[in-house]
Formats: sequence, C-alpha cells, structure tokens
Amino acid sequence: MSLWTYIIRRLLYVIPVVLGVCLVVFVLFNVVLGDPTQILLGKHATAAQMAEMRAELGLDQSWFIQYIDVVKSAFTFDFGRSWSTKQEIISMIKEGAIPSLTLSLPAFFIATVFSIVISLFVSFYRGGLLDKTIVLVCVGLMSVSSLVYILYGQWFFAYKLGLFEISGYEEGFPYFIPYVALPVIIWVIISLGPDVRFYRTVMLDEIYMDYVRTARAKGLSEKVILFKHVLKNAMIPIITYVIIQLPFLILGALLFESFFSIPGLGGMTLTAINSLDFPVIRAMTVLSAIAYIVFSVITDVLYTVVDPRVRLS
Amino acid sequence: MKALSTLLVVLNLLVAFSCTKKQDATEKVLNIAVGSEVKGMDPIYANDRYSSNEVARIYEGLLEYHYLKRPYTLVPNLAEALPTVSEDGMVYTFKIKKGVLFHDDPAFADGKGRELVAQDFVYSLKRLADPKLQGLGWWLLDGKIKGLTQWREKNGKADTVNYDEEVEGLKALDSHTLQITLAKPFPQFLYSLAMPFTFAVAKEVVEKYGKEFVNHPVGTGPFVLPRFKQSNKIVYTKNPKFRKKLYPSEGDEKYKKLGFLKDAGKPLPLVDKVVVHIIKETQPRWLKFQKGQIDYNGVDKDNFQSAIPDSKTLDPKMKAKGMKLLVAPSLDVTYTAFNHDLEIFKSNVKLRRAMSLAYDIATANKLLNSDVALPAQSVVPPGIAGYLEDYKNPYRGYGQPQDIEKAKKLLAEAGFPGGKGLPEITYDCPGSTTARQIGEYFKKEMAKIGVNIKIVQNTWPELQKKITNRTVMTYGIAWGADYPDAENFLQLLYGPNKAPGANGSGYDNPEFNRLFKIAAVMQDTPERTALYEKLTRIAAEEVPWIYGVHRQNYTIHHGYLKNFISTDFDAGQAQYLSVDLEEKAKALKKL
Amino acid sequence: MGSSNQKTKSKSLWIHAFDQIKRDKLAITALAIVCLYFLIAFLSWAGIIAADWNKEIGPSYAEPFGDYLLGLDLFGRSVFIKMIKGTEVAMSVGLLTGLISMVIGVTLGGIAGYFGGKVDEVIVWFYTVFSSIPNIMLLMAIAFVLGKGLMSVYLALGLTGWVGLCRLIRGEVIRHKDREYVQAASAIGGGDFRKLFKHILPNVLHLVIINFSLQFQSAIKSEVILSYLGLGVQGTPSWGTMIDDAKLELARGVWWQLAAATFAMFFVVLAFNILGDALRDALDPKLKGK
Repeated sequence: MSLWTYIIRRLLYVIPVVLGVCLVVFVLFNVVLGDPTQILLGKHATAAQMAEMRAELGLDQSWFIQYIDVVKSAFTFDFGRSWSTKQEIISMIKEGAIPSLTLSLPAFFIATVFSIVISLFVSFYRGGLLDKTIVLVCVGLMSVSSLVYILYGQWFFAYKLGLFEISGYEEGFPYFIPYVALPVIIWVIISLGPDVRFYRTVMLDEIYMDYVRTARAKGLSEKVILFKHVLKNAMIPIITYVIIQLPFLILGALLFESFFSIPGLGGMTLTAINSLDFPVIRAMTVLSAIAYIVFSVITDVLYTVVDPRVRLS
Repeated sequence: MKALSTLLVVLNLLVAFSCTKKQDATEKVLNIAVGSEVKGMDPIYANDRYSSNEVARIYEGLLEYHYLKRPYTLVPNLAEALPTVSEDGMVYTFKIKKGVLFHDDPAFADGKGRELVAQDFVYSLKRLADPKLQGLGWWLLDGKIKGLTQWREKNGKADTVNYDEEVEGLKALDSHTLQITLAKPFPQFLYSLAMPFTFAVAKEVVEKYGKEFVNHPVGTGPFVLPRFKQSNKIVYTKNPKFRKKLYPSEGDEKYKKLGFLKDAGKPLPLVDKVVVHIIKETQPRWLKFQKGQIDYNGVDKDNFQSAIPDSKTLDPKMKAKGMKLLVAPSLDVTYTAFNHDLEIFKSNVKLRRAMSLAYDIATANKLLNSDVALPAQSVVPPGIAGYLEDYKNPYRGYGQPQDIEKAKKLLAEAGFPGGKGLPEITYDCPGSTTARQIGEYFKKEMAKIGVNIKIVQNTWPELQKKITNRTVMTYGIAWGADYPDAENFLQLLYGPNKAPGANGSGYDNPEFNRLFKIAAVMQDTPERTALYEKLTRIAAEEVPWIYGVHRQNYTIHHGYLKNFISTDFDAGQAQYLSVDLEEKAKALKKL
Repeated sequence: MGSSNQKTKSKSLWIHAFDQIKRDKLAITALAIVCLYFLIAFLSWAGIIAADWNKEIGPSYAEPFGDYLLGLDLFGRSVFIKMIKGTEVAMSVGLLTGLISMVIGVTLGGIAGYFGGKVDEVIVWFYTVFSSIPNIMLLMAIAFVLGKGLMSVYLALGLTGWVGLCRLIRGEVIRHKDREYVQAASAIGGGDFRKLFKHILPNVLHLVIINFSLQFQSAIKSEVILSYLGLGVQGTPSWGTMIDDAKLELARGVWWQLAAATFAMFFVVLAFNILGDALRDALDPKLKGK
C-alpha cells in the first residue's frame, strides 16, 4: 500500500466516525433528554406556548430529519443559535476560542517543556534516589484534586499575597497575562505528574534498546547518548502524545475558566451544561470530536511518514 | 522545582511591571459584579434578575419605582405622569414625555437616534406578544390586554407576524398619547409597565438587526452599549444625549437623614461608566470586592461571620477600611413544597403538619441564614399588604421538645407511627453547594421523627422540568416578587395555576381558589387586604408547603460608593449611583 | 511446547513480579496504605465506624485540634467522621468504576482482537467514536439519564473509562492469537471463547491490573469534579462534597474540611499511583531486561 492510499483511506475513515459522533449526540440530546421547551420558557410556561416553541425549534420533525440536521451542522459548522443567550453559536465559539487558547497554549507548552526536561534529567539518574524522589514529587503533585489547587491558589496567592489578579480577563497582549498566570501555573503543576511519568517511560524504553548498548560499548558519554540518540528516537512518541492532546486544549479547562472568570470555551460549555443549552453542548461536542479525529489522523499520518513500518502492521 | 520557582519569579515580575490596563483616574466608574451569565440585551427575554438589570441600563419603560420611597411606589419614567384611568378601571391613558431620544445607531436615518413616540410602545408590547419570538414575559400580558391574545393566536398560524394589524386594546391616539384597554380587571397591570419586559424598543433597530438585535441594544436609557458581547465583562458608557432626568429631590425621612438627598436635582446618570463583571463563583467575587475592584457585594452565609460578627454591625476591620453595611428585607419566601398530586401528601394534612413541625426553622435560620432571616409563617413576606404582623403559625417548628412531640403524635395520627409505612421521600433541589446543604439539613430534621429523605440535586432547568412533569415528591425552592403585591405570592397556591403554571406544588383547595379569584381583581382597598390576610391564614394552617424564611438582604459597599440602597427592584439603579473619586483613591490605599 | 509451557512462563512472570515488589519498600508501603483504606471503607460500609456521621456534636464550624480532632462543619458534624465516611464512598467509586470499565474494556477488546474482521471494525469504530467525544459531555448525559446519586457516579465514570483498556487488550490479543499455544489449544478442539478467556486473557492480565489501579485513582479524583459540577454523590459525605463546601468556606477562614478531604485523598491516590507504577515495572515484560 502506498503512502497516499493509506492517507486517503485514513481520511475517509473520518466520515463514519463523524457520523457516529452525530448519532451519539443525537441520541443523547434529541431522543433521551427530550423536550426542552419547558426549560426555555421558564416559570410561567403554558402548554400552548410549549407547543409553539417545539414547532419553532423544529422538534416536531421526524427523528430522521432531526438526525440529518445534526449531521449537516457537523459539516457546515452552522449550529444555529444558543437557546439561552440567543447568540449565534459559531460566533460564540470564535470569541471564546481566544481566551481559551491564551490560557491553554502557554500552559501546555510550558508543561511539556518542563516535563521533557525533568524526564531527561531523571532518565540520566535512573534508578537513583534523585530519580525516585522527583518522580514521587511529581506523582504527589497530581494526587491533589485540581479543585483544591484552584481554591487555595486563588485565596492565597492572588488574594493574600496579591501576586495575581483574582479573577477576570482582559483582551489583548500583554493585558491578559496577570489574569491567566495563576491558572497556567496550576495547570503546569497538575500536568507534571502524568507527563513526566509518560516521558520517562518513553525514554527508558529507548535507553534499554540495543543501539544504546552499542553506543555505550563504543564509549560514547552518557550525555551524548541521552541527548543525541535517546531524545531523537523518543521524539516520535513524544510528538504523538503532544499532538493527540492538542484538540483538548480548544475546550480549554472547564474548571479554570469558570473559577477564574475567563470567558473561554470551557466556561461556556459549563454554563451551557448548567442551563441545558443543547445546541451549544451539541456544537461543542461535535466540534471537539471532529478536532480529535482530525488530529489523530494527522498523528497517524505523521507516524507513517516517519516510520514506514507502522503502515504495514 | 527550581525551574518552577524561577517561573514564579518571572511571572511575578511581569505582574509587578503591571500588564493591567490603566484606568483614567478622573473618570467615575461604577464596578458591579453579577453572579450569572447575562442572557442578552433583548427586553422580551429578560426573565431573570441579572438580564433584566442589564436591559434596564439601556432601555426604559413608562413607569419606574421611586428610588427613595418605601413601600415601593410607582412614578412616571417615560410617561409624563401616572395614567388617567377610566372609571371601570379598564382604560389607561398615558401621556408620553416629549423630546426623548433613542441612542444613536446606524439603523436610524443619518445614524441619529429619533424621538420616542407612543407608537413605539404599541410596537414593543406587540413584540412581547409575538408568537414567533416567544418572549419570556408573555405571561405578564396573556389575556390581560384587549385583543392582544387573539392577535398572537392568529399570527401564530400565519407565516409572518403582521404588526400592522390593529389590536383593540393598544392604541396610539396621537404621537405622544398611548391608550391601553384591558380585557379584564387586572389591578396589578401598572406594575408590569415598570418591568423590563415592557420597555420601549425601536422598530427600525429590531428590523435592521433581526436576530442580532440581542447584541445591538438601542434604547432611551442613561447608558449606551454599542455592541453587546457575551463575555466576562460589559462596559457601558454614559448616554451623552440622555434627556434631562434629575436625581429625586424628595424621599423617605430615613433616606433624607442618611444623606441620600445630597445629589438632589443633579442630572442623571451620575457616573461616566458602568463596568459589569460576571463572576460566577462566590470566592473570587468576595475577594475582588475586598480589593476594591468591585463597589458592592452581597454577603452570603459563608462570609457572614467574618463580615458581620455580631449579626448586626460590620466587622470593625472592614469598617476601618470605609466599608458600609446595608440590611433590607427582601420580598421573597423560601419553602419546601409537597407535590399535591401524590395522594400521600394531598389527603394527609396531618403528615404535612407533622413534617413542618419537625423542621426546626430556628436552627435552620442560624446555620443557613446566619440567624438574620425572618422565619416565614405563611407565604406573604413583610412589607406588602396581606402580611400578618404578629401571626404565629401553629404548625411551625422551632426545634423545641414539644414541637417534636406534637409532630410525632400527628405522624402517628396520619397513619405512620414513627415513620413506619412511609416510603423514602425524595427531596429535589438545585445544584449549588448551599442548596445541597439545605437539603442535608432537611434530611437531618426529618430523621428526628423517622421520615426518611433522599436528596437529589439538579441543574436549575432540570429541576423546573421535573416540577412541571410532576416527578418530584418534595422540592426546595424560593420565590422572589415580580411586583410588590401579595397576589404575586398567593397565586403560587391557586389551583388553576397548577403546573406548568406557577403553582408547582399543585396545591388545590376550593375555598382558597374561590377567595383568591375574588381578591385578584379587586383594587387596592381595605377589603382586599382583609381577603389577602384570610388567604394568608389558610395558606399557613393548611401547610401546603413547609415554609422557610423571608430573607434579609445584606449588602456591603465601599464608602466611596454613594447613594446605594438595597432594593428588590434594582433595574435602573445604576443611574442613581455615584463614586467619590477622592475617597476611592484613599480607600484603595488601605485595602 | 504447548500451552503448559506458556502457562509456566506467565506464572514465573507473576512470581518474579511478586519478588520484585516485595523488595520495593515504597510499593509495600503503598500497598499497606491501600489495604488500610479498604479496611476503613469496609468497616464504615458495615456500619461499624462512622455510622453517626450525621450527628451534631458541637457548634457550627468549631476549630480543629481543640475539643474536636479535625473540627466541625457547618452543621456541627465531625469533619473527621465525615472524612472516614468519605473513604467508603471514594473506595466504592474507585472499585466499581474500575470493575465496570474493566469488564467492558476486556470483553470488547478481547472480542475485537480475537475475531478480527467485521466485528473488529465495528468495535474499533465504536470506541473511536466514544473516545472522540469529550468525557465531560458523556458524564453529564449519563448523569441526566440515570438521575443523580452514587449509582450514576459509578456508571458514568465506568462507562467513560474503558476505551484505553479496550484498545490495549485488543492489541495484545491480536499479538497473542497466532501464537503456538493458542493454535495448540485449537488443535485439541477448544472453542473460540474458551481459547479467548482461558488461554489468551490470563496472558494479558497484567495489563488489566495495571490499568485497574490507575483507573481507581483517577475515578477518585473525578468524583471531586463531579461534585463541583453538581453531578456527584448526594446524601452521604464524600471528599468531593467536602472540597466543594470549601469553596464557600475558605474565604471565612474555615480550612479544615478542605484539608481533611485533601489529605485523605492525597495518600490513597498517591499510593495507587505508586502501586500502579511498581506493578508496571514488575509486570511489563518490555522493561524486564534492565
């Protein structure tokens, strides 16, 4: 199979998956959760009003047509308007994406760089006390609930010490920095545990490979081996791991955004969940699913390009 | 770890060199915090307090509540004066103020806001009735204005809504005279004209922006907002062309004494800018207030003890920083409702009374309301006619041994001695932490007489849905007044208002219904008050709900914020508020 | 060279792993902590301890280390006893969630890997769809469908946690199914399911165990988030609800509920993580050469 056929086949596979996601979304929101009109009309709703509303929203259509609508929205990105805020969903998403990314991209970048540096460091001292201690500390850091970090960090560092803004957001560089600094730090602390653990395993995998033994036998210094050979070879799983996490960054961090009043997509999703704003929830689900699928295809393709053996298996 | 601390230092430096936008120090800025998303700027969808407050900064109605008078008194706003009412109380004629301009907007000819006319109100009220738009305030006018309900029904079937078709009860007699004819007596009608649902919008703007109208608020009000964005912050600026509206030069004695008339006669609004911060969590809101980034903030039970240690006066430390405390009763009632569709509650007043007696309201008040709320004896709160001043509900428990004894006895008489034979009773409540704690308390209290409660938390819409679908057994909820009239509370127990109406518990008592029906159409007279009181008494002794409390509103504001009063109807309040910049600069140094 | 050989080989893997763990003091400590938590949870479940968590024993928000060990909560209930009772909830959430996702993951992964072809394609499609939907949406939907409560916490977390294991098992089963010992089993006439469950699965069991211990701790952490979202445990104290309470308490200086729940959670989550790592090091043949 040539590379191109593989890529095309892989891309075509996106279609059934998107259809499947739409099916799940449709079943959850249109069939199981059912009639939202009461929710929308509030405390003074009458039966006649609810019927009018159902017709307005197209909920009196057959299920097949409703499903087709969901699928259509996945390909046209026309998700309609939010039920609760009456805003156009696609513009809500566009507006929310920037604050989300100003929080999640730096956090992700810093966390990744830190984790890689730390895991290189501990791989160098593998098995020693330093290795064990650092890994233990990282795992310890992730054993505390993120909610605790948020609550305590906001109260102590932002309020008591006044190092950061307590909450809120300001558009534009560099104005957003004081607002996102604390959430970014917390994010980094939480991610160190799983990331260091993963990267360390990847590097140790490489270190025990035959070629490393050969290199060592040839008398290369441990540092050279680590930086020149191990890191280079470990890059493939590292990049895969990084890319596959990217789509989740778009959703930002639900808790961070709602606790620090950052007007991003995560907070928006949380609000939508709390007010049962189905079109928004549906849009976010479909969009993040598509992002996930697209990015996993990219990973697969990259992987194949770098390491042709994968395609054959 | 070293790298981590380096990062901390670097970030701190960044913050220290301050990336914060500098605010103009000579500008009077009002900083307000709200705890929930604002739903958009269309008056007909403003069905919660947050959205209606935002709408009321931009839009105005015919009437408003006098800022410095209690009990709440309606005064003209866009109307010249209170309307003339025909003898039978059915025809209301309003004169509308001349020279009131809409905000500038491209929707108008050459972008200049035009003058407001009577026809705008005809249009705005029709818009609230528009079946395609599904305005959330329609219940307010449903069946009340002659011909409007028919107009809605007719247009609901058509493809497009025809605004040109006349409605008998809604007429612009000339450019500045509006006549409204009611379909049936509705003495509370005037209150609805002070609610944001009925505020005036301009047809040109609605038509130009279509569905985007919600983001292009253009009213006649004191502040302007060129474009609304769903964000964590909304910034309004003073309307430079605001009509000559002055700060009231009269008010209640108590407000006079407190110096609320210092700004009397000054043109409104008193600030240049209003910044609304949307902060959903309690902790950041409180912390930001402490830093002076927000001008006033409600005190909730968890900040209560630190802010108001003796339940009456402000903590000396906060006082020293210039903060001030305001206490005001709010027009509301909290309660735990029974589902009267269930035979077990419907036909068993003894069970209801037993549960009400077992519920120790005194301790609940202490734990959940910092001991400052007023235990409710019935449905109507103090401050409006119909409230029974010294009345004590015989089935109200205070945690005394005799209350529990009586409760146990009643429970046995109801056929469930010691709770035997009773199923597990579910208690549905909203999803907040406080709501959960209230539920836990209820569970604990009921366990005292052997009644087993299971707490179920819901999102707010989910809870509403469950109530409407009658799938609850008991649920905890509160009601805040739409307008200051006991009718707004008593209707919660009126049988024909059963779900999906406002009577979520489904309580249906023929005698109560009969009396309510009479009282609801009476003008404000001593006879009506007597009827209201009678209804209140029935509502107390029949225990259709376990009553909770009438809450007190505790608000702390910084000393530099002037003219702040806590009110149940705070729409439009921002125009009266002022900020003393010198004091603020001094205060910020202390915070 | 039949299945028996493979079996002894896998047995020796276990013995070897056991030896290795025995020598690892940290792992043994972690195991002891986990056992202690299980014991506490069991005693609380059986009603022997912490049955009276709902009792008011003193003033609202009494401070810790005075008359009351870890202080009291809003209703004057002992934070210490609530913490113990919370252990029961946390351990049951971890255990049941782990079990649910294990059953689903192993079954689907095993079937997909073993049978291949159309069945495999459908299952792969299914879990790809499932994993591309953000967890939070699924959690919410499941909570709505099942109603609130402990049961739906188990199911919601269990039903969203199986994909990783399923993928892993599928890969391993594919690797194993053409091995000699499996072919030998079919030579003596073993049915498909017999081969899958009796011969192949024991050889991938170590993956299941590692995964289980990691799933366990992440479920405990997720319970906190669910509580914050109002989708959590109701009616009994859990660490999640205790931390959620703290978001209102911290500003008034009540830190002991937060601290108690955080510490209780910290040790068990840490222990599970260490145990998971130790198991992986001991059981994963890839790393055995070192």
